[in-house]
Amino acid sequence: MRLEYLWRVAARDLLSTLRDRRTLASTILIPLLLIPLFTLGLPLLLGSFIGGQAQERQRVGVVGTLPAPLRAALTRDEKAPDGTVIRTGVQLVPVSDPRAAVGSGEVEAALRAPLPLPTRAGDGTGTLEVYAKLGNLRTQTGAFAKVQTTVEAYNRELAVQRLSGLGLGAQTLTPVTLSPIDASPEQERRSGQLAFLIPLLMLNFILTGAMATALDATAGEKERGTLESLLVSPVRRSEVVAGKLLATTVTALTTALFSVAGFLLAGALSRAVLRQSNATPELTQAFGGQLTLTLAGALALLGTVVSAALLISAVLIALSIYARSYKEAQTYVTPLSLAIVFPAVLLQFSDFLTLGSGLYALPLFGSMMAILDVVRGNLTAGHALSAIGANLLGALLLGLLALRSFHREEVIFRN
Amino acid sequence: MLEIRNLNKTYGRHAALRDVSLTAGEGEVFGLLGPNGAGKTTLLRILATLLRPTAGTASVAGHDVTREPEAVRRAIGVVNGGMGLPARLTGREVLRSFAGLYGMTRAQAEARIAELDAALELGRTLDIRAGEYSTGMAQKVTIARALIHDPQVLVLDEATSGLDIFARRTLLDFVAAARRPGRLTLYSTHVMSEAEEVCDRVAILHQGELVTVGSVPDILAGTGERTLERAFFALVRGLEGEVARAS
Repeated sequence: MRLEYLWRVAARDLLSTLRDRRTLASTILIPLLLIPLFTLGLPLLLGSFIGGQAQERQRVGVVGTLPAPLRAALTRDEKAPDGTVIRTGVQLVPVSDPRAAVGSGEVEAALRAPLPLPTRAGDGTGTLEVYAKLGNLRTQTGAFAKVQTTVEAYNRELAVQRLSGLGLGAQTLTPVTLSPIDASPEQERRSGQLAFLIPLLMLNFILTGAMATALDATAGEKERGTLESLLVSPVRRSEVVAGKLLATTVTALTTALFSVAGFLLAGALSRAVLRQSNATPELTQAFGGQLTLTLAGALALLGTVVSAALLISAVLIALSIYARSYKEAQTYVTPLSLAIVFPAVLLQFSDFLTLGSGLYALPLFGSMMAILDVVRGNLTAGHALSAIGANLLGALLLGLLALRSFHREEVIFRN
Repeated sequence: MLEIRNLNKTYGRHAALRDVSLTAGEGEVFGLLGPNGAGKTTLLRILATLLRPTAGTASVAGHDVTREPEAVRRAIGVVNGGMGLPARLTGREVLRSFAGLYGMTRAQAEARIAELDAALELGRTLDIRAGEYSTGMAQKVTIARALIHDPQVLVLDEATSGLDIFARRTLLDFVAAARRPGRLTLYSTHVMSEAEEVCDRVAILHQGELVTVGSVPDILAGTGERTLERAFFALVRGLEGEVARAS
């Protein structure tokens, strides 16, 4: 194989890719914009919705009467020492049919006590029915949450008053206090509960980036009649395949690079935004993974991503050379995204699964696990090498299959 | 320059070429004639090393097409009606890219592009993207691409297909002018009048078989017809009569 010919084939395809604005947008702009938007913007938006619920005075219906201290607790605003309202109380309104009132939207929740509620701990028990649309996130985080925490506080207050009469302090209620301490490494904490999205998005962007070049360089060339002119030049078929594989991989890696940049940008932005907003770090981290990398992690990520890009490029070239047209090739390769999405979604249950070392040797899936481990800061060298090796072996086999196809008359002239 | 002996090509049970033998020398414009499906494109693709013959041999510029395909590809330049250009590259970029594939240096490529610009009157076509070309502009650049390495054998397969009357005239004039010592031009077409105008000798193919080879005046004299098209029909009817009698 002559490297200068390989590069000339690749340069031709890369120049063509570089001139395509749609490909440039999907390679550079989309990862850079979409990842911060998805991992940071969405949680912040959700956080502002939930935070807004605390400041909103919801209407809560009441059937009959409630004990005066409980009514007062429900309607009272919770304030910080400086007087700022942290959480407003609810507005109590009389209703006759609680279910109908909630159903019609007249109130967000409604309270009904079938029997009078006790006003002193030890004077029996009572039940307070809460009618609300329990599957509704707005209700859950708004009216229902306020009623629930107020009733819990009311119960505690009654118990504390009774204990006080007996000469016992509030601590009597909690002889043992639970103090949870997150023992996960800093990097894993930062990665968030949706860290599995990072391999999913990264590999999907690699696929998207590779697809445009691979399809254009194979089925597209066949459709335009430019492949034949390339094949009658002195360049060898092996150089044609390797050149196209190189061009596709370079495009895929460019997308991967910008997707990594997107995650790093999201991390930096979230730190900046958190300093200025009232969204809690826990909330942001829970909803979007933030990539932070050590040098070793960055190298492992690079190796994994390069090998995955090679493998995906080889799959795309091997498949799309069979197609008669760009459109037909799109039909062949579109299901490939499912091969990334399904295993990647499975990774969200990785905490429940025992992932054996052998799984790292599965092409592509091993990469997803390795990327997730990099994000969480617990990738081992053995697992990284297994994932990279499996991808490279897969890429080699598929590259040979593509070469065989480029030698077959019925494939090259299938137009 | 071109030597073909007992060349056969089959696709499954279909014989696309049957025992074709012919020779052509330098300085000639040699026509390959026949209707669609006659086997012209299959024959030219074998000569361009894109297809492998099922049996028989062929050599181009002294190189065997199966044993020395790379040397053959260095010696030929191919234009066919179905060949396109990369839509996002300019004509100049296409020519530079192919010059590189033929091992030419940047300086050699630029000098050759200048020569082709003058010969084919490429002008501003060189610096606009192929996606914006008219059919005629695209055909000029396609020809320039095939000539970038000054090939010994120029293959034109249905090169006037889809061209308007002006572009077609430019191409035919170019083929006539491209005749020179040291170069063989293979001109394949189903339009007999074109061959009559530009070819020194022609080979007529029908259903994969070689019907006749000779100069245009000899074929006209042999059939007693006034045009090559009438001569073609006379020869084909004769061939089909022989086949019918034999069966």
